Amino acid sequence: MEFDFSPLLMNWRFLGNGVIVTILLSIVSAVGATMLGGTIGLARAYGPRWVTVPLAFYVDTMRAIPVLVVLIWTYFAFPLVAGITLPHFAAASLALILHIAAYVSEIVRSGVGSVRPGQTRAGLALGMSKAQVVRKIVLPQAIVRVLPAYGSILSITIKDTAIATVIAVPEFMHQSETIASQSLRPMEVFTTAMVIYFLLLFPVTRGVDRIYRRVAHLGRS
Amino acid sequence: MNYDWSVIWDFRSELASGVWTTIQLTFATMAVAIPGGLTIMLLRQSRFRLLSWFGTFFTEFFRNLPLILVIYWVFYILPTLMPNVDFPPFATGLVALALGVSAYNAETFRAGVNSIRKGQTEAAMALGMSRWQVMRKVVLPQAFRRILPMLASTWVSLFKDTSLVSVIAVADLTYTALEIRAKNYRILEMLTAMAVIYWCLGYPQAKFVDWMYRKIGVTE
Repeated sequence: MEFDFSPLLMNWRFLGNGVIVTILLSIVSAVGATMLGGTIGLARAYGPRWVTVPLAFYVDTMRAIPVLVVLIWTYFAFPLVAGITLPHFAAASLALILHIAAYVSEIVRSGVGSVRPGQTRAGLALGMSKAQVVRKIVLPQAIVRVLPAYGSILSITIKDTAIATVIAVPEFMHQSETIASQSLRPMEVFTTAMVIYFLLLFPVTRGVDRIYRRVAHLGRS
Repeated sequence: MNYDWSVIWDFRSELASGVWTTIQLTFATMAVAIPGGLTIMLLRQSRFRLLSWFGTFFTEFFRNLPLILVIYWVFYILPTLMPNVDFPPFATGLVALALGVSAYNAETFRAGVNSIRKGQTEAAMALGMSRWQVMRKVVLPQAFRRILPMLASTWVSLFKDTSLVSVIAVADLTYTALEIRAKNYRILEMLTAMAVIYWCLGYPQAKFVDWMYRKIGVTE
């Protein structure tokens, strides 16, 4: 068996663009999902019943359906209902945000729930408003505590961007597939892709762990 | 735009066979990945440097890769490694998913085993139990309660991730629905049906996981 890595070297710019799109898609999805998921998580923890019930349904739905199905539906079916055209990148980020926000909301909710209720009561007894209690007492501790779980969500986000290849977003997975089928060297191309994905993901998981170890004491109470 | 939902009923037998493939693949993968994960975890804790290095590498590598890439990779590498064997797409998908899920399971088992304090192992050893006895009689029964809910979440993720094997033409629910869509152009109807079927299958599972965490989950 012989290996030929020249197709990779010849197309490094093409593949490099793919890496950049992957990183961009990851950032957009992670930021969007964090904002949406944070809002949903807080709304579920503190909102009235008519808010929490539909949100719980939404979150459980996203946990029950594969991200691939959400992605395909957003790209192919949603534009038919809404009567608009969605570009690849927008469809992919929308689907990933909708899907991952559900997971983010779950960890936000569990983080908020892990702060003892006595602290909330103490804050209220001191005359703080409910919003103040959440902002100044609950959230600072909750955010630190959920950091490890949040780190794994970040790595899931990066991994899930690879699925955007099925709707032809020109991210790294898709570019690798293109080169693999053009050069008839799938082994070399996909093995290299594995190494590059690993190099993208490993520092993220390790980095979050390291930050957590440094700030973990702030979450104790 | 007019919708024609009757296509879903017309293709019910195809969709049902897709569902059946999805379920079979989930069960088969887990059946491989539980012993697989256990083996990898034991390798990782082995006294031999080479074995433990391999176990660590395997877990860290496959946990940090998109599954869809692993599926493509296995799809191309299996025929190269074993040119004489003809792998059906189902087997290829099974191997790829099992690689990924074994790595997740290995980590789950390791977390479960490590959560049992070291003093217990030392105490059992001091009582004259062998390493294997300690594992079987002291550590594993306690670790089980922590492992089971995590295993159940992995199960749900696996069930959802089986949809990815549609890219190598395994006739699971996703692939079948996409095929029908390509035949009759009932895009919205077919894709919605696919999502609803996945929901019906996945929702009870997600709820079951929640219940399991409440019932037997250990809170630190």
